[in-house]
Amino acid sequence: MSEKIGVYVCHCGTNIAGVVNVAEVSQWAKEKLGADGVIISRDYKFMCSSLGQELIQKDIKELGLTRVVVAACSPHLHEKTFRNACKGAGLNPYLCELVSIREQDSWVHTDKVAATEKAKAIISGGVLRVEHHEALEPLRVPIHPDTLVVGGGIAGIQAALEIADAGYHVYMVEREPSIGGHMAQFDKTFPTLDCSACILTPKMVDVGNHPNITLLTWSEVTKVDGYVGNFAVTIKKKARYIKEADCTGCGICQEKCPKKVVDDVFEAGMGNRKAVYVPFPQAVPKYPVIDRPNCTYFIKGTCKACEKFCPTGAIDFNQQDQDITVQVGNIILATGWDLFDVRRIPQYGYGRLANVFTNLEFERLSNAAGPTGGNIVLRDGKTVPKTVGIVHCVGSRDQNYNPYCSAICCMQSLKFAHLVHEKTGAEVYNFYIDIRTPSKGYEEFYQRLLEEGTHFVRGKVAEVSNIARTPMEEGRLVIQVEDTLIGKQRRIPVDMVILSAGLQARHDAKEVGKLFGISCSADAWYIERHPKLDPVATMTEGVLIAGCAQGPKDIPASVAQGAAAAARVLGKIQQKEISLEPVRASINSDKCSGCRICNDLCPFNAILFHEDTMVSEVNPALCQGCGTCVAACPAGAISGTGFSNEQILSQIEGLLLLNLVKPEVVPA
Amino acid sequence: MAVELSFNKEIENIMYASHGKPIKDCLQCGTCSGTCPAIEFMDNSPREIIGLIHADMKDEVLASNTYWTCASCYHCTVRCPAGIDIADMMYALKRYSMWKGKYKEGLLGPDFSEAFVKMIVNSGRSFEPILAATYLPKYSAGDIIQEGLTAAGLVLTGKMPLLPKKVKRLKNVQRMVRRIIPIGETK
Amino acid sequence: MKQYAYYPGCSLESLGKNYHISALAVSTGLGLELKELEDWNCCGATAYFPVDELLAYTLVSRNLAIAEKTGLEDFVAPCSACYKNAYTTNKYLKADPDLAEHINYALEEDHLQVEGRMKVRHLIEVFIEDVGLEEISKKVVNPLKGLRVAPYYGCQIVRPRKDKEDVENPQFFEQLLSVIGAQPIEYASKTRCCGGSLIITNRKAALDMVYKLLQNAVDSGANMIATTCPMCDVNVEVYQSQVNREFGTNFSIPVMYFTQLMGMAMGIEPKRIGVGASMLSLAQSTGK
Repeated sequence: MSEKIGVYVCHCGTNIAGVVNVAEVSQWAKEKLGADGVIISRDYKFMCSSLGQELIQKDIKELGLTRVVVAACSPHLHEKTFRNACKGAGLNPYLCELVSIREQDSWVHTDKVAATEKAKAIISGGVLRVEHHEALEPLRVPIHPDTLVVGGGIAGIQAALEIADAGYHVYMVEREPSIGGHMAQFDKTFPTLDCSACILTPKMVDVGNHPNITLLTWSEVTKVDGYVGNFAVTIKKKARYIKEADCTGCGICQEKCPKKVVDDVFEAGMGNRKAVYVPFPQAVPKYPVIDRPNCTYFIKGTCKACEKFCPTGAIDFNQQDQDITVQVGNIILATGWDLFDVRRIPQYGYGRLANVFTNLEFERLSNAAGPTGGNIVLRDGKTVPKTVGIVHCVGSRDQNYNPYCSAICCMQSLKFAHLVHEKTGAEVYNFYIDIRTPSKGYEEFYQRLLEEGTHFVRGKVAEVSNIARTPMEEGRLVIQVEDTLIGKQRRIPVDMVILSAGLQARHDAKEVGKLFGISCSADAWYIERHPKLDPVATMTEGVLIAGCAQGPKDIPASVAQGAAAAARVLGKIQQKEISLEPVRASINSDKCSGCRICNDLCPFNAILFHEDTMVSEVNPALCQGCGTCVAACPAGAISGTGFSNEQILSQIEGLLLLNLVKPEVVPA
Repeated sequence: MAVELSFNKEIENIMYASHGKPIKDCLQCGTCSGTCPAIEFMDNSPREIIGLIHADMKDEVLASNTYWTCASCYHCTVRCPAGIDIADMMYALKRYSMWKGKYKEGLLGPDFSEAFVKMIVNSGRSFEPILAATYLPKYSAGDIIQEGLTAAGLVLTGKMPLLPKKVKRLKNVQRMVRRIIPIGETK
Repeated sequence: MKQYAYYPGCSLESLGKNYHISALAVSTGLGLELKELEDWNCCGATAYFPVDELLAYTLVSRNLAIAEKTGLEDFVAPCSACYKNAYTTNKYLKADPDLAEHINYALEEDHLQVEGRMKVRHLIEVFIEDVGLEEISKKVVNPLKGLRVAPYYGCQIVRPRKDKEDVENPQFFEQLLSVIGAQPIEYASKTRCCGGSLIITNRKAALDMVYKLLQNAVDSGANMIATTCPMCDVNVEVYQSQVNREFGTNFSIPVMYFTQLMGMAMGIEPKRIGVGASMLSLAQSTGK
């Protein structure tokens, strides 16, 4: 054996040494594995300490070690530590192998003798393996300085502004005609009762005016190619049928358009818009869109009122969808949420009983720019309710619908109670299971609502009914619930019911996630890299998530996540290139027969097929080293650096101590 | 030495084939009680009963008429956000109280159920007049007369047979029953 | 003619006799054959479970085993309580091999074994799903015009969850009533409990439940209530006078089984569907 291998056995205090006889193991390695290249073997209390690392570095320099095996804890913890130590002494870090004799030995066995023998076998495996390691260099990939932000809600807006303000270019793609997201629909925001549009629109205007932001609304991403630092994204700009260069946003086309349509997006079905419309007056950009399926011209070929009256001739019925491709280095997905469909709970009466409203409908009612001018009235448009019931947890915390808590509905319900008090002086009942007020100022807001005389009934509403059992209930909606704090079933007559429906992932979250190569959890929220320590990154390098797309949260948290994602991206851009782990698959083109079995198996779409040479090739930047193609290749043409066949087979031989079995000499 | 099981655990064990979630998942949200059509006639609401079970307050639970007032309409079960089969739990409590012989005084349910099962073991089919013997003695005079009138009406319209029917292979059925009762809970 | 393993249940031989004869008459008219199981035993309704769970499942399983022996595919019960017991027992037999083993051990005494392979159906779903609403409408010669029927589902046909989509607001009964020419009434209590056996063990509670049900049906404009279960039928029909006494109301709304209404619409003679002359004239007077 030409390699010079150093073996270092860690005591880890008593974690390892309490079960494994580390001195014996170290001695054994020196004696028995000498034939395999081990020239020095040491044991030490804490190898990961600076003194422990220095031991290794000293030996590398003085003894000319070419390989290092450290027998200690799991590589998850200290692989980087020891690799860096070797690097510091001038040895390629990938020539260091960490084998676990703690998690896989001392922590799981009580038989000390057997555990010691096992440790010897583990080290033997490591020694035989490390001989086949190659010096590897991390891949350096350049980072394109542009960023794509998908979703123009508050999280996306925050992210885009932070990156743009730092001097880098951002493409923002939004599928609605205007940015603003759900926050633009709200009336006031809790707990400060700031007017939502008032705090949002300045940021929207900033985005619209920013020299570093290219705003693409009424657009969707259709294709994402490439890898971190080098994404090629295809965006479909849907035809607005308005020439943006000529449109002044005067609004005459909307005035003159004869076709009214129920606006079930922005107005939550409570109001109308025209076939040519901007969703709300403060829309950014100011350009309207023509809703083709509802436009008289597109349906029948007549009308064209907008074109006739447009003072700048900005209407263009012949406009086509446009596909553009942009190059970006990083992508932030901030696609937001959909509302739980309350019709799935028939006993709450939505749709069947007129005066049952959803939370979004109520926001529009209460909003001064909404369909009733901010007046809280029943469906008849004029009656002011005298009693209002607000139902918490609709579709949330429920095994029959969504098991999770939607995080914001308690605060939202309290806010509604306040708005009803303020605007109508009505009696308000809030029906809850728990009152969740975790953030700054939230509990105080709850106390304010208590002081305002809100009736809090602890009980999840069983049903909303219009069957009157007493004269008081005639003609009213009755909320039937158990008031659990007094242990009695109560029937409370109200005039209006507001259902605080929960948040759920966008209906197409899975498909969109697939486009970008990220996954969704069972509840369809995007999965973060680590639920505690890395909430905005994903398992795909270069793609980040922010806001409610990652899970239900309030506005401050969405803003924080947008800013966090931006910071991560800015850090990457600043470094100009990133280094990727070189543990990758590579295809030996001589052995590749072009069967393409590996192409479709790759979960990261990292394998290209070259039509001209009829061989496949792995893109090292996309490859995550999972090993699927290595196992699948029928010709054995694919090898994983860091997990080659030779390395794995040698490790197995070493574990079985086959290297110590002297071959029998058979006489000739 | 046998481990003393908490009342909570005993009830869970008795919900043998119940395929709902365990009652420890209860959030005490009150949906079950808000839905229950018979709650006005119950001493404790269904939710309170679960709370009392969690608190191991066996005597209070058994003394309550709640589980004998349950009509088994399963409305609570389909609405429970924790997925608990509450109606089945009521059955489990009924069985527990029959087994221990402990229940509120004056209830007709225990005698009725016992008589019903005995009737089946004796004939294999249900026959109302036999059952009447169990509950009529507890009715008021006025109610007994009412029942008599109702019964007469039913007989006249041919809806009440005068003789009980029997299953042909009754002996087999009885042996079948004996194979279960020693295996299941003892009476 | 498709054959079904038919489990009438005890009530259909006594209180629910009209249901039994009308079910057979209508089935014949629709081209189905209901083959009664031989030597079936009582399913226990809600009375066995308070005593012994395993015994309850065993007694129900005996009927399932007898049905399996016939080689037929479907086990049809017209009574909602029998249907619910058979459905859930069948489900548990498939899901829990230990339970099945215990039960089969007992069934040996009657030389029976059960697998859980039957498809357990309620009679009304057999008509709607297997025959189909269109076929049924073709057989209607006497559409029940003028009859505003409140479809009373009751609880155990939809709950606990079986394989029906909507447990809170099912529509299949209304659809059936529409094709036979009646006007189905929408009313919120259609799946509320009639009290079941509480009519015996806790009369006050059951009467209260029946009262609320009747009031809602009548307030919603019904002049007839249709049922799918003999227990519900008895509670809502026979005890109306007691409800009136207890609550000072004066309900006198006719209650019929859905099979009787179907029979009337299909022109089957009143005798064969258990509709007495007085009942028929009542229906006719509200109808025409």
